[in-house]
Amino acid sequence: MEAFQGLLSGFQVALSWEGIMFVLIGVVVGTLIGMMPGLGPISAIAIMIPITYGMDPAPALVMMAGVYYGAVFGGSTSSILLNAPGVAGTVATSFDGYPMAQKGQAGKALAIAAVASFIGGTVSVVLLMLLAPALSSVAISFGPPAYFALMLMGLTAISSLSDGSTLKALISAVAGFMVVTIGIDPQTGTQRFTFGSVNLLDGFDFLIIALGLFAVAEVCMLVLNRRNNSLSDSQKLGSLKLSKSDLKEMSGPVSRQSFVGFILGVLPGAGATISSFISYIFEKKIAKKPEEFGKGSIKGIAAPESSNNAATSGAFVPLLSLGIPGSGTTAVMLGAFLVLGVQPGPMLMVERPEIFWGIIASMYLGNVFLLILNLPLIPYLAKILAIPRPMLISLVIMFSLVGVYSISFNVFDLYMLLIFGAIGFFMRIFSFPAPPFILAFILGGMMEQAFRQSMTISNGNLSIFVTSPLPLTLIIISLLSFLVPVLLGLRKKKVEV
Amino acid sequence: MLKTMNQRIGLILVILAGSYLLLSYQLPSYPYTSVDADVIPNGLGWLLILLAILLYFSRTKETEAEKQKRAIPRKELLVLAAVFAMIFLYIFLFEMIGFIIMTGLFIYFCSWFLGYDKWKTNLIVSILFPLTLYGIFVYALGIVLPRGILPF
Repeated sequence: MEAFQGLLSGFQVALSWEGIMFVLIGVVVGTLIGMMPGLGPISAIAIMIPITYGMDPAPALVMMAGVYYGAVFGGSTSSILLNAPGVAGTVATSFDGYPMAQKGQAGKALAIAAVASFIGGTVSVVLLMLLAPALSSVAISFGPPAYFALMLMGLTAISSLSDGSTLKALISAVAGFMVVTIGIDPQTGTQRFTFGSVNLLDGFDFLIIALGLFAVAEVCMLVLNRRNNSLSDSQKLGSLKLSKSDLKEMSGPVSRQSFVGFILGVLPGAGATISSFISYIFEKKIAKKPEEFGKGSIKGIAAPESSNNAATSGAFVPLLSLGIPGSGTTAVMLGAFLVLGVQPGPMLMVERPEIFWGIIASMYLGNVFLLILNLPLIPYLAKILAIPRPMLISLVIMFSLVGVYSISFNVFDLYMLLIFGAIGFFMRIFSFPAPPFILAFILGGMMEQAFRQSMTISNGNLSIFVTSPLPLTLIIISLLSFLVPVLLGLRKKKVEV
Repeated sequence: MLKTMNQRIGLILVILAGSYLLLSYQLPSYPYTSVDADVIPNGLGWLLILLAILLYFSRTKETEAEKQKRAIPRKELLVLAAVFAMIFLYIFLFEMIGFIIMTGLFIYFCSWFLGYDKWKTNLIVSILFPLTLYGIFVYALGIVLPRGILPF
């Protein structure tokens, strides 16, 4: 009953003229940035954060959430039309979306993606609405050791699940944690690694890291790929209509993969990218005609699209109810919360119900807006893909610089943005994944605090992490998430030998 | 000794982690706490050294896709360096000359440099974009951007 009342108050926020306006702004901006090949949701959120300064937290966060799921929704457009996914989570969509577009059925592919995304997103919001409050009320009793172990699990999960080498992902995470130790230690007041510079006393603002490692580094990759295909004016989309048999064919994958996507979104480390691949493979395995996959199959578009959007809303479960992000993107979302002075976590539902429920309620509305944007309006929106790459590059650089300047009014931070941009570029070139870095950067401070609180409680005895069941279980899971891939690797080698 | 890319990166990481540890061990101690300011940094430093050594000795070969990612023609690297130089110049002159003029100049020249040859469109964007953004930030959001040499 309480949840029902909460949801009603959430709809009051979401359906106020202010709420409607900011949901709309959020999803439109998210869709547009998400469509841009190479620019992902992290860049979209980071670029929009400065806009929220001074705004009321509820509408601001409703907007930021819209940017996030809007970006995932919009990413499919460039996957289908250009075979250049805007978002990692929509790579799997291009497997069948692009071939279908090549057959002159781009409109149909976009329509399938939009409908599947809408259903996946909406199913997932319903599940989010049921699960988040329940998890909140359990999490309220978690002590510092459990929190420390949870965050550790988040970091190990993202490292072992990120694409490429687990070792490199771990190095990336440790480096992110190291960067956050720069500045004044909040507990003892000791200056750490500041080299006596006033500019480093407060450490690095997370926006410098997020915009540098993602927006600026992504721009560097765009510079290298600037001659790649952008949309030509002559490209015809074809009809957007779906026949009854099309809808029937996609109903199976959509209904299954919405749940799969949600579950994978809730779990730490997975998120939209992994869930979309898993869903694609899942549907291919059980399909009666698996040979159609990769050649423009309806199921091949519907499965990853329903799954990645479901995962996006699912990722809000740990963020809202535990205050712990499970992925790079939700880590930046957490940053957006903190900028506005809102601490997500088990107390959010009690202390700021209008924000907790406002975000959830706004997602219903946002998904409807996205369906309208991505179905009847898509021919007009897709025109943004015709923006010449050189212009896009200069504009994104400007957005990043202005964004960083507007948090501190300090030119030093702009130089730091440039440096982190270079670091992000080299990480991409040498295949070190960036999401573990940003997640560790966001979680690092919280982990250190939780560790110290635990040690204070136990009088400096480390056994506090293994004597109660919850932290112990979580730490065992964290360890297993490394050992299992290593052991599997060893076994594979033996088989090869 | 430094044949593979992993070995080279591993060595650089060991050096970085070593310098970090060196600084970390010099942190002053604070008597009234169970976990001092250097505990976590020390742990992180040693962890990074361990991981870097594992990377040095890891025998996983680079995949073709990874090699491809690394193979960037020298000319393209120079283009990228030039873009960085332009950003550096922008930051350096940003507060002196002001947001509007510098942003306009940057967009025009950066887009032109990267191969955009429709100068009329470029000029229009270079004028309208800074003015719009300045308007949004200064008048709508109340965030002051450097005015520089312009009177408004």
